[in-house]
Amino acid sequence: MALFSHPVAGAPPLGPVAPPPLAQESLQGYVMLVSGHFQGFCRDLYTECAQLCAAAVPAAMRTTIQAQFAAGLALNTWNPTNKSIRKDFERFSFLLDLGGAAPGNPQRVTHLGHLNYWRNHVAHQNATPPPAGVPAVLTLADIQAWRASCDGLATSLDDIMRQELTRILGAAPW
Amino acid sequence: MTTPNLTEPLKIGTIVRIRNSGYGRARIVEFRGPLGPKGARVYRIRVRKKPRPAYIEVLEDQLETASVGK
Repeated sequence: MALFSHPVAGAPPLGPVAPPPLAQESLQGYVMLVSGHFQGFCRDLYTECAQLCAAAVPAAMRTTIQAQFAAGLALNTWNPTNKSIRKDFERFSFLLDLGGAAPGNPQRVTHLGHLNYWRNHVAHQNATPPPAGVPAVLTLADIQAWRASCDGLATSLDDIMRQELTRILGAAPW
Repeated sequence: MTTPNLTEPLKIGTIVRIRNSGYGRARIVEFRGPLGPKGARVYRIRVRKKPRPAYIEVLEDQLETASVGK
């Protein structure tokens, strides 16, 4: 924490402070980590849901269902954006409205957009400044807020899929 | 409740066949973890197909290892 934040007022210096370039690189690594972790969560949840549906059909049809669920999966190649999450999860025959699923979600979806913007900015070493509305500089506080938003969205997505699978399967899946 | 997996997962690169499918030999490209019903293991499989390979995620009990060369 101290590596990225300003020293606490009145506190004695604790020793050498990492040079700014290293701090920036650490923050950039953190962005990649948070984005990748959220993508992994979404991908795993999708697989769990798909396998539950596949298990509900006759064995001879199972591979067909699994192949359909796996074909062209956005989360295997794209960032975990609101669009790619919708594209994949709406295969379960419903309209996914992550932003409307909980009171705090509109802000969380915005944060997810910022996270993915910065994820690409870091991965592709973009030199162009971010557009208006996106934080112009990476800060630890921003990344922590984005991470908290991903936590909230993960909880929402889990709740939504539990409801949808209950509708599809006729019993609560978890 | 999950079923404990007492054996080691199949290795990445293992050549397999998928039961109840029309696919021929395929290759395990990723062990996805215990994501199936009751913690069953899930694998990502690459199936040879033109013009591009196809990928499918299946449970371990759908797989049978295939001999190389057959």
